[in-house]
Amino acid sequence: MIGKIKRKLSDNIMDKFSMDFLRNQVLKNAYGNDDTVIAKLDPRVLLVWYLFLGLVPWFVNNLYFLMGCFLLVLATTIIAKVAGLVLVLFGIGVFSQTGYLFVVSLFFGGDASTIIPLLTLTLKVAICSLASVTVFSGLDPDRLSNGLMWFGCPERLSFSISYAYRILPMLMEEFQNILLSYRLRGNPPAHDTFMGKIRYLCYQVKIIMHAFYPLMLNTAKRSRTTVEALEIKGYRFAAVNQEVRKMKLSSLRVTYNDMLFLAISVLWISVVVLLSTI
Amino acid sequence: MNIIEIENLTYSYPGAKAPVLNHISLQVEEGDFLAIVGNNGCGKSTLCKTLNGLIPHFITGDFEGKVLVGGLDTSQSDVGTLACKAGYVYQDFENQIVRPTVLDDASYACLNYGRKDYLECGRKALALCGLKDREKDYIWQLSGGQTHLLALAGALSLSPDVLILDEPIAQLNPEHADKIYGVLKELNEKYGKTIIVIEHHTEYIADYCRHVVLLKDGSVVWKLPAQEALRRVEELQESSIFPPQVTCAAHEMRERNRLVCPVLPTTVEEGRQAFAGLRFSGNQKRREETEKEQENEPVVRFCDVSSSYRSVKGEPRVIFDWLNLDIRRGDKIALIGSNGAGKSTLMKLMTGLIRPAEGDILINGESILKKKTEDLSKDISLVYQNPEQMFIKDTIEADIAYAMQVRNVENRAERTQKLLERFRLTPWKDRDGRLLSGGQMRRASLAIGIALNPGILLLDEPTANLDIATRKEIMRTLADIRNVTETVLIATHDMQLVCEWAERIVVLSQGKVIADGSRDEIFGNEDILRRAGIRPPEIFQMGRSLDRRALCYTIHEFMQSFEEADI
Repeated sequence: MIGKIKRKLSDNIMDKFSMDFLRNQVLKNAYGNDDTVIAKLDPRVLLVWYLFLGLVPWFVNNLYFLMGCFLLVLATTIIAKVAGLVLVLFGIGVFSQTGYLFVVSLFFGGDASTIIPLLTLTLKVAICSLASVTVFSGLDPDRLSNGLMWFGCPERLSFSISYAYRILPMLMEEFQNILLSYRLRGNPPAHDTFMGKIRYLCYQVKIIMHAFYPLMLNTAKRSRTTVEALEIKGYRFAAVNQEVRKMKLSSLRVTYNDMLFLAISVLWISVVVLLSTI
Repeated sequence: MNIIEIENLTYSYPGAKAPVLNHISLQVEEGDFLAIVGNNGCGKSTLCKTLNGLIPHFITGDFEGKVLVGGLDTSQSDVGTLACKAGYVYQDFENQIVRPTVLDDASYACLNYGRKDYLECGRKALALCGLKDREKDYIWQLSGGQTHLLALAGALSLSPDVLILDEPIAQLNPEHADKIYGVLKELNEKYGKTIIVIEHHTEYIADYCRHVVLLKDGSVVWKLPAQEALRRVEELQESSIFPPQVTCAAHEMRERNRLVCPVLPTTVEEGRQAFAGLRFSGNQKRREETEKEQENEPVVRFCDVSSSYRSVKGEPRVIFDWLNLDIRRGDKIALIGSNGAGKSTLMKLMTGLIRPAEGDILINGESILKKKTEDLSKDISLVYQNPEQMFIKDTIEADIAYAMQVRNVENRAERTQKLLERFRLTPWKDRDGRLLSGGQMRRASLAIGIALNPGILLLDEPTANLDIATRKEIMRTLADIRNVTETVLIATHDMQLVCEWAERIVVLSQGKVIADGSRDEIFGNEDILRRAGIRPPEIFQMGRSLDRRALCYTIHEFMQSFEEADI
């Protein structure tokens, strides 16, 4: 019985490292939550919102204000239904930025009081990251790239963003299949002992590096058709045509919801500013 | 009126010595449904790319002569203008789709060319292609057939007069193939579009096309009405095109003076008249079927297996629910069923690439759950549908040797040479697998698959995406290695392969085994055929429509089962 649970558990953990899981998370992140409130907002409004929360915290050191901002972005992250993988990466990211400093400071005679200055920095990093997560993961890539285009980013950049999301699942599937080829035909070192496990890890890293060569060639072969298709579909023609640009942007519309979202954010920030000055 | 006029066209790719197209002159009438046939490398695709201006505007090279499409000279007009005249659907159509959602992709070209009503154009094109209710879907939610229809809708959105499709049904199962040709027929008859297909499946040419052009070494041999073209059996076979089975059977019988028919039949309908004088003389038994051996022990057992995979949204999709299946030693099994029935999943489960959520799989009596994938590879081997994904080294020699090398197999160098020879790959052994032709790639993938001499070999669609000549060649190769590997399982849509090769047929439908038996048991049961969306080979249908008792799967069997009635 215990053996069975253990097996299930280890299967479950191993599963999280599989290419299939990663691919699924990428797709989920990009398109899986198009029905949330955040996803329906106008990308321009969200970008302005992001600009504020991404910049202002760096210039403020008031703990209450930072706490307030943090709660706001935490709320939006929850509303945006961000995929689990991104949140885990976020956790690791924040820790690697500041968390380890606390651990180190403890070694050098620091105590709990070290937390306060470190907390300020941590909060700043966290606010900025969560705001990015909300915007870049809550919005689907197409709306995001349209928003960027409105602010004057070149067409090529916005196309690249949406095309990257289009091709990424394909790339990962191809990569997964090549790795499966290695698994089927390869002969990895036994990994029952500790040294074996290290050797196994090295082997895996080596295989992943080797797999890039066939991946690149296969993708290059496939993209020949894509390049021709883009030409037929008038991609180059549209890139220099102002008329087309206007048409692409005409789908952007600020709605009642956008106003409400901005109003709530502004109200919340003002309350926080008020509280922190008292 | 001619919508396409080609005058004395000669073209060679940049850097190539010999021209691909050689003094081609061709007229296509408006509203025609034209098939272009010819063996590999005779310039079919190149010819089609001159029609939408990709040649010479995007792909340069030496271009001589004149191509007029809808009255426009292609060398004088730009690709954008020509795209509104001639739409193009590639053979690898999934790479042609550049946007994430269905409506987005269908209307993308219209948007780029600045049409104000681009969404409307996209919707209209989707409706014509039968994708009306899928416009909000993401492209990875579509099946292979639907993706193809979307590629067609993308080309159609600019409302071109001419539609060009490169091997439209090579990758699709018969159900989807009928669907796409149905759409093309409607576009042709109702909307007056001129359709040009590059097609190897002569049965479809007989049913749908009006004219056929035969290309050979970059030149047009002839352009004839479809029925007349298909009756030129010998000329077509010289170019490795195989006329419909009904036509071939009638041709052979006439050659042997066993049939009097002035005009060869091209469809089952015509065949009924032409063969009306024949009498059914009983089915031919295959040797393997007559001497029924005793049942061998199972080498693979599925015990109550359940499996599912993640979806981007919502609950995981269930593939198998309580699947039970035994594969016995020495079985030659064909696994059939429509797309998404779970054929590939079944194979991945056996190789340990996917773990069952519930239940167990026993390989040679041992549970797969305790084994590692790499240990299983001595017993069981999987050859992918897409051979490119099996090439992990930079030469095919290294690829074939890889599995033996990492396992330190004795005399591996010798064995590699033998395998190269057996699959006729020795001249190309230093090439990267990706640079080989379709048939060579497929043979190389088979060689890689049997390198470790596994007892069980799994093949995923070994004949998909091949032209008919190469397909025949691969079928010969499969017959060749029949005795090398004990137990073989092939997942396929190719019913000719099933009929000629398999001894046992397993039909999957919606994750369940709905039938399991000999070919007579499967193909003789119309209920199963309908439920699983299987279409037997044409010659089988021909036999059945002449006599309900007839069960003949090959032209040879047909000729033996039917003889001239004494008058």
